[in-house]
Amino acid sequence: MAPVTLKDVKKRYGTVQVIHGVSVDIQDGEFVILVGPSGCGKSTLLRMIAGLEEISGGEVSIGGRVVNDKPPKDRDIAMVFQNYALYPHMNVADNMSFSLRLKGVPKAEIDQKVKRAASILALDKLLDRLPKQLSGGQRQRVAMGRAIVRDPQVFLFDEPLSNLDAKLRVQMRVEIKELHQRLKTTTIYVTHDQIEAMTMADKIVVMHDGIVEQTGAPLDLYDRPANLFVAGFIGSPAMNFIDGTLTTRTGAPAVVTADGIALPLARMPTGGTEGQTVVYGVRPEHIALGDGGQKAIVSVTEPTGSETQVFMKLGEAPVVGVFRERVTVAPGQPLAIRPDPAQTHVFDKVSGRRL
Amino acid sequence: MRSSTVGWLFLAPTLVILFIFGVLPFLYVLVIGFTQWNSFAADPTMQYNGVENFRRLVFDEQFLYSLWLTLKFGFFAVTSQILLGYFLAQLFMRDFPGKGFFRTIHTLPLVIAPIAVGATWRLMLVPGLGPIPYYLRQWFGYDLNISRYVDQAFLATVVMDVWHWTPLVTLTMLAALASLPKEPFEQAQIDGANRFQIFWHVTLPLLKPAILATVFIRLMDALRTVDEVWMLTGGGPGAATRYIGLHIWRVVFPKTDYGYGSSMSLITLYLTIVMCWLLYAGLVARRDLKRVD
Ligand SMILES: Nc1ncnc2c1ncn2[C@@H]1O[C@H](COP(=O)(O)OP(=O)(O)OP(=O)(O)O)[C@@H](O)[C@H]1O
Ligand SMILES: [Mg+2]
Repeated sequence: MAPVTLKDVKKRYGTVQVIHGVSVDIQDGEFVILVGPSGCGKSTLLRMIAGLEEISGGEVSIGGRVVNDKPPKDRDIAMVFQNYALYPHMNVADNMSFSLRLKGVPKAEIDQKVKRAASILALDKLLDRLPKQLSGGQRQRVAMGRAIVRDPQVFLFDEPLSNLDAKLRVQMRVEIKELHQRLKTTTIYVTHDQIEAMTMADKIVVMHDGIVEQTGAPLDLYDRPANLFVAGFIGSPAMNFIDGTLTTRTGAPAVVTADGIALPLARMPTGGTEGQTVVYGVRPEHIALGDGGQKAIVSVTEPTGSETQVFMKLGEAPVVGVFRERVTVAPGQPLAIRPDPAQTHVFDKVSGRRL
Repeated sequence: MRSSTVGWLFLAPTLVILFIFGVLPFLYVLVIGFTQWNSFAADPTMQYNGVENFRRLVFDEQFLYSLWLTLKFGFFAVTSQILLGYFLAQLFMRDFPGKGFFRTIHTLPLVIAPIAVGATWRLMLVPGLGPIPYYLRQWFGYDLNISRYVDQAFLATVVMDVWHWTPLVTLTMLAALASLPKEPFEQAQIDGANRFQIFWHVTLPLLKPAILATVFIRLMDALRTVDEVWMLTGGGPGAATRYIGLHIWRVVFPKTDYGYGSSMSLITLYLTIVMCWLLYAGLVARRDLKRVD
């Protein structure tokens, strides 16, 4: 167990810079999730923490010790790779116990640890198999098992659940959380699945093109996204964005779209000026049905049973709403909607920053 | 199946050639091996004499000695080639200035005909003429004389074979190393393995198929070396480097003992196959057997 600190970490491949100065403070025992779209540098950052990638600039410390020049084996970390990285010539049990055997742990203890990990991961029956005799999901679980038999300072996970089916993924999500609650080991977990991020993390780090867009607790990111990117990335279905101008001329503060539709705000955003071009954001789940709201034209409805997703056009802008009610409006028909003014977000159009 | 006739037709030329140049001569040697046939004998015609040749072989000290020498030669040559070849391959996996140039010249021995290799080494090593013995004596006072000292002659043939064939091992090792996945090596670092442990537990097992294949190829080649050694030492001094190929050649050609020579060839072939099989069983199959229990 140890805190991990990244201070202005940079990574260059030749002349291409892929990480542009990332700073993150990770407390002892914290479960931190790095999210971001494909190619934003999550794996690269994780590999730098692991010591597999040279650090081009900045400082990585684990447990208060700068480890920039330490090889992976001296960093006391366990890592699950995106592509499993199993030893092809060792069976499942040997794969899981390799690190323990290197450390000279007594055989009985190894057996017991491997057994326990195998039963958590439902691998009991596969212990004698070689990796090539396993499915993708099974391999991924072996890779997980290899990490959890150890007792490292830090766990590093690189999309460990990406190849599992939906049911197993939910189950493993719970297992990983429980494991973390039991062991209290500092964990850095990479995913591009924001549901995983929201449900598992103590703290989320949203990355985009090699920079950190925002760091914070899951619900903070959800409630107060710092910019358009985070607002669009966190939450599913994604937040609706409508271009408009900020005004108080209608009496109450509102955003007026090009079509002349006024979208009310609870209050004038601090730092917002009259006539400023902004992006108005509201989450699908914060739109209510009800008379007296705006008239949107329904294009598609998708009932899932518990709720209904409705794709609409508000003027020219596409809007998605999620309603607990069953909506039975035919496509092409109008539907009265009321975004909750208290749950709206306003971003500067140019900088993308939250106002 | 409709396509099988066409398939056989496509294969036919290869099969015919294989049959004429591979199978027929082998069958011919197989037959001669069971005959008494020597153009210098009282009766120079081919006579069937059952397993008489093979019985004679078992007690033929010259043959057995030659066989032993060949094994010794094969062992030292192939072991050095594998070690050196692996080392060079590792070197070529790294980047250093002039790497492409070194890699190219280092493979040159491969394209030289064995007889030319033998001639070159002879010119360099022959006592009284070669530069190497000359300078060794001048600078170090060392007496290198491969036509007098048995061990030096043996060593010279091994070194020549290593010089000639290590590049082949380097190339196969290089191909094998380059095709290894990099993830297990990263995982091994994470798992806390040091360089030697990574080599022993990851590199070696992953390279094993390539190493074994190379060992087999090189061993079979080394066991039938003739021309290089014939050129360099002529099998001497005495019979010190008369490896089995040379020995058979002597029996079959200068002595024209065709029947006896053929039986030697057959036994040598048989022993080579058995040896490779034992190696294979010992190194590959046994571990897989152990896996099961
Ligand atoms: N060896 C390399 N040389 C040059 N560029 C590289 C190299 N490795 C990665 N990159 C670049 O670095 C960027 C980040 O890659 P990285 O693998 O960290 O992405 P990621 O966030 O993990 O994506 P994913 O979710 O798809 O796994 C990518 O744009 C990639 O093209
Ligand atoms: Mg990745």
